[in-house]
Formats: sequence, structure tokens, C-alpha cells
Amino acid sequence: MPADKQRLEREVVAMRVAKELPDGGYVNLGIGIPTLVSGFVAEDSVVFYHSESGVLNCGPLADEGEEDIDLINAGGQFLQPVPGMVFFSTVDGFAMIRGGHVDVTVLGAHQVSAKGDLANWMLPERGVGNIGGAMDLAAGAKQVIVAMEHTDRHNHSKIVEECDYPITGKACVSLIVTDLAVMQPTEQGLVLKEVAPGWTPEEVQELTGARLILAPDLKEYEL
Amino acid sequence: MASRLDDHQIALRVLRELHPGQTIALGTGLPSTLCRVAAPDVGLRFLAESGVLGYQGSSQGATGSPGVFGSDGSPVSLLPGSSLNSLDETAAMLRGGHVDFAVVQPAQVDSQGSFTHWTSAATPGLHAPGTSLDLAAGARRLVAMMHHTAADGSSNIVGECRGVIDGAACVDLIVTDLAVISVSPDFGNSKEGLVLTEVAPGWRADDLVALTDAPLKVSPNLTEMRFDSISGPVPEKVPEKVYTSGPLAVGDIPDGATIMIDGFAGPGGMAHYLLVSLRDQGAKDLTIISNTAGIARVINFGTPPGRQAIDHSILIDNNQVRKAIASYPVSPSVSRPSAFELAYRKGDVELELVPQGTLAERLRAGGAGIGGFYTPTGVGTLIAEGKETRTIEGKEYLLERGLRADYCLIRGYKADTLGNVVYRGTSRNFNSVMAPAAAVTIVEVDEIVAPGDLDPELIVTPGIYVSRVVRRPPEFSAYE
Repeated sequence: MPADKQRLEREVVAMRVAKELPDGGYVNLGIGIPTLVSGFVAEDSVVFYHSESGVLNCGPLADEGEEDIDLINAGGQFLQPVPGMVFFSTVDGFAMIRGGHVDVTVLGAHQVSAKGDLANWMLPERGVGNIGGAMDLAAGAKQVIVAMEHTDRHNHSKIVEECDYPITGKACVSLIVTDLAVMQPTEQGLVLKEVAPGWTPEEVQELTGARLILAPDLKEYEL
Repeated sequence: MASRLDDHQIALRVLRELHPGQTIALGTGLPSTLCRVAAPDVGLRFLAESGVLGYQGSSQGATGSPGVFGSDGSPVSLLPGSSLNSLDETAAMLRGGHVDFAVVQPAQVDSQGSFTHWTSAATPGLHAPGTSLDLAAGARRLVAMMHHTAADGSSNIVGECRGVIDGAACVDLIVTDLAVISVSPDFGNSKEGLVLTEVAPGWRADDLVALTDAPLKVSPNLTEMRFDSISGPVPEKVPEKVYTSGPLAVGDIPDGATIMIDGFAGPGGMAHYLLVSLRDQGAKDLTIISNTAGIARVINFGTPPGRQAIDHSILIDNNQVRKAIASYPVSPSVSRPSAFELAYRKGDVELELVPQGTLAERLRAGGAGIGGFYTPTGVGTLIAEGKETRTIEGKEYLLERGLRADYCLIRGYKADTLGNVVYRGTSRNFNSVMAPAAAVTIVEVDEIVAPGDLDPELIVTPGIYVSRVVRRPPEFSAYE
């Protein structure tokens, strides 16, 4: 039964996503698995991080006892001051996003559709949600990568033919990296490109709410 | 016939219209003499489209401050409290209604108060209005400073402008080398007539009627033009912006007010002292515009044990809030609801949810006098419901509207007594965006310094946007 098989750790998903970040690129990381991605960027690669809190070139989190309330990331976590850091207003921060100056954003999601629609701001049962910067990132970043668990806590697929949760953006996701697979939404449908070690494409399909098209060069998850 | 006034005298007469503390945008040509004629200590803040606010014109042959030039390209000097701005910031000041006066030099003004700028008239076939369009559209009061007649003796004040119109029905006052003419003060915006209110020494009303093509009514209170200083018998003072306490600064906020409050995620960037002052003041039925509706208290990063972060929740708990306009209104965690979410579930508060970048741009537009803008953010989502969409170069956009408020509570780092503000780190984020977008902007800072103590190159929020400045007591904590 695929549901009982070993899935990849969150850190491994983050490691796979890190491979997608272009050397010298400007990158915005969302909350959850995306936050972990910065820990896995190759040592010989340089990535500049952008945060909606109004800072570019931000680095690691502050050590305990070194917290400064005027130095936070979009998640409200305290940052270390680093050379080359630059602060700006929210208008400028979002001009960078909508103006196409952010190369990649990595976001979590509640659902992603086969065509790349993203739903990540509201769980209908809560009756209220936080949009934050998600809709701007979905509309403006050059590339939107979703990093998430393949299924929710009820083992329902988070990958669907059509989102039934309120969406964040239409046809905006270019790559989905989960604890089971790497998939690419296309106009023809969802292309399965990589599967987690020990998993067959059929097993992944069984846990996926959208029909998967097998890539001609389908391979094992490549780290 | 008596002689005409020289440019210096015309400038002196225009200066009599101005009051200390006012901001005056100067167009090219004659208006740029104003900054040379006005004494630097009278408290007038000149704005040049070249991107400098609060400067003094240099006398003939002087070099001014290095790299700083006025509207006409001549060197000018920075004064203590000057700030330097980009062109879009200067235009935002004008369109956003932050400039008290603009002075332009038309080639012609007509009886409706419409004008053709001298640069347009000088380049027939090549419409070159410069920034006169923004000056005309934005300033609260527009003064035409000009010569009454052209070189060939024809009147520059006409029934209808012959050239392109650079500003329609917008001139409030005409000051020439012969007269002062007010543009229909009694007819509101219709600007149906010109009224001669002053004549240059030695000139009679009949002379002026003869020299003016447009129909000219003569005021029953016609006087001779005067050129004495603007200070008058009792020197006027620049209105004081520094308030001695938070309670005084927020004292007049009425029930039902709309208030902008920053606070991105954590406790940074939030005007805690003003928030507590507003809680104690007790105004009710408030609409708050903010990134969050108070989540610092629930996310709790950095909060000392046994204490709570001060955020919007203190107003919610005190039943002062009716509605929030926010992008990230509730706790990231369902199991740790904020005060706002609890009130929302009970139906006690309303919510207008706005994407973060759209919220920022709506505030920018509001402060900059822009009615609305098209953004790709939110196309195809719930946010797009009921909104106009437009396809521009093959891509779909939503129309979003500018947003303004009655009051704004800003958290700065340092301010000078003129209201110029600098911020610290990520605590700038929404603060500098909100400051221009409220009728009354109140800033809380760690330190208030003298004009000139902040580097004009580094001022983020120029004082033109700031009404009140309060020093946060040094012992005041972000936690209670």
C-alpha cells in the first residue's frame, strides 16, 4: 500500500528545490518547507534573498539573544545583519516582485492544479485567511516553485485537476516538488518528471488527484 | 505712463500670498526668482521639480550646494531640513495634494483661468509643457506669475488661449508687472471671470482694462500693489509639529476615523506609544488599515516571558475597531487565534482583505493623488470579484483604487522638527508608504533632532507628509 511507504523528509524536498535556484538569482522563499531551501544551496553558488518585510540580501536567522525587532523576515523571524543588506518600503519590495525582478519564489500550497493554478491562502473551513504577499508573488515572480507534502494529513492529494480551495493565482506554478515526486504543470496536463527513490510512477499516480503524464526521461529524484 | 514692475517686485508681491510653513512648487522661468527673493528664515518650503524640497535660491554668480539645482537649472542651496527626491516623488507630492501653492509662468491666461505655459508657447508644434501639467493639477492654489503684455504689446490675459491648454480652469490668481487679478473667487470652480483687485503704483484701473483682452471686472476694493515682506507687523511662525506627548498627538482622533497603522509581522515598525495613547483616548468605530490586524501578540517571537507584545489587538480588545483593511489579518496558526479573529468570528468586526503588494500600491496611489491602477495580482481569484479588468498587451490586469485615511500612526527612528523622518531596518516597510496617504500623519520616533541633523540624501519621508512628531519615552517598551 503506497500510503505506508517511506516518503522523503522535508529537508530532502528543500534540497531538491535548492537545485532549481539560479546562480546569482534573486529568490523569495515562503513559509514552511520553502524556508529550509536556503540551507541547501551549493557552496559555490550565490543566491540573493528577497523578503516582503522590506529587505534584500538577507541571510541567516539571528542567534538567540541577538534579536533586533527592526530586523525581520516576512515570517516575522529575526535576521542577522549581513554586509550588503538593503532596506526598502513595501511599495519597492512589491515593485521588485510584480516588475519581474524576482527570479524564483518558492511557496507552500494547500492545492495545486494540473494546469498550475495555486491555492495557498485560505482553508475554507476557517472562514478567513491570510493573503500576505502570495498573490503578488504568484502574479509577478518569473518562476513559481511549489514545495509541499504530496498529500494532506487526511492523505488526500494536494495535487488536483481543479482547485476547490480559493486560488492564489491561475496557471502560475512552473514546478511542483513534493515528498514523492517532481512535476511540471503544462497546458496538456501534469508531467511527472521524477519520483522518490523506491516509488513507482503507478504508486505516485495512485496518491495524485490529477492524471500524470509520464515524462519521456522520467527518472529518480535527482539531488 | 508710470513704469512697470521689475521681476523682483513681481516676486515680492507673489510672496505676500504665502505663509510660513507652506510648501510652494516653482515652475521654470519667473517663478524661480521667488526662491532668491524670499529670505531663508521666513519658513517657506520651496519645491523644485528637479527634486529638492526646502531650498534657497543662490544669488547671482554663487555656486549653491554641490550638485543641487532648482527648477530652472540654476544652482541652489540646501537649507537645514532640506530633502532630495526622485521625480516620481516630487510628482506624488504635487498630485497628492501636499503642496499648498504652485507658481507657474504662463504665456497666456484666459478668462476661465486656463493657461498655456511659456515653454509650450515658445515651441509651436512641439508641445513642451514641462511639469506645468502636474503643477496645475496638483497644487491646492495656483498662481500665474507673468508679464501683462507680450513684446509686441498684445495682452497675455485673453478671452481664450490661442495655444495648447496646459491647465484647464485652474489658475486662482494672476500676478503681473501691472496688476493682481483674481480668477472668479465667488464662482467656485466655474472660474467665469477675472476681477482686478490691485494695480501697480501709478496705474489706474482704466489703463488695465485697456491693456487686457479678457473682460475684466474691477473690484470695489481695488488697492495699490504692495511689496513689503510677508511677515507683516506681527511675524508669523511656522506651525509647530513637535508634540510633547502621545495623548496630545492623538487627542483629536474622532469616533469613526480611518487610521493607518504599520506593523508588518513582529513588534517592529509599530507605533506602540501612539497605539497605547489611542487606546487610552478611546475613539470608537475605527477602521484600521494595516498589513496585519494584530499578530505580533500571537506569533510571539522575541516576547519576554510573562509579557505581551503591543499590537492592534489592544484596540480590538477595547472594542474600538469596526473594520480592518489588511493583507495578513489573522494568526498563521489556526490554533492560536488573534483578538481580531475572535472578534471576526463573533461578527463584531468587518474585514476587507487585500493582497500585500496591492495594499502597498493602493496606499502609494492614495498618497500620490492617483485614482487607481491596473495590477496583475489577484486576476482569476476571489479578489477580482466585482472589479474591472483590462487586457494590456495581452496580459490581464485588475483595476484597484487608491486608498487614503484620516490619520496615520507611523513608527520612525529619528525625525527632525520639520517632520523629516528616517527609519531603521525592516521597520520602514509600510510606514513610509502610509505617511503620504493620510490627512494627519503622526510620527513616533526614538529621537527628535534639529533640521540639518539628518542627511538630506537619506531622508525617507520628507516633512511635507508629516503633521505631528512625538518622541517615544525612552523607557517605553514594545511589550506590556
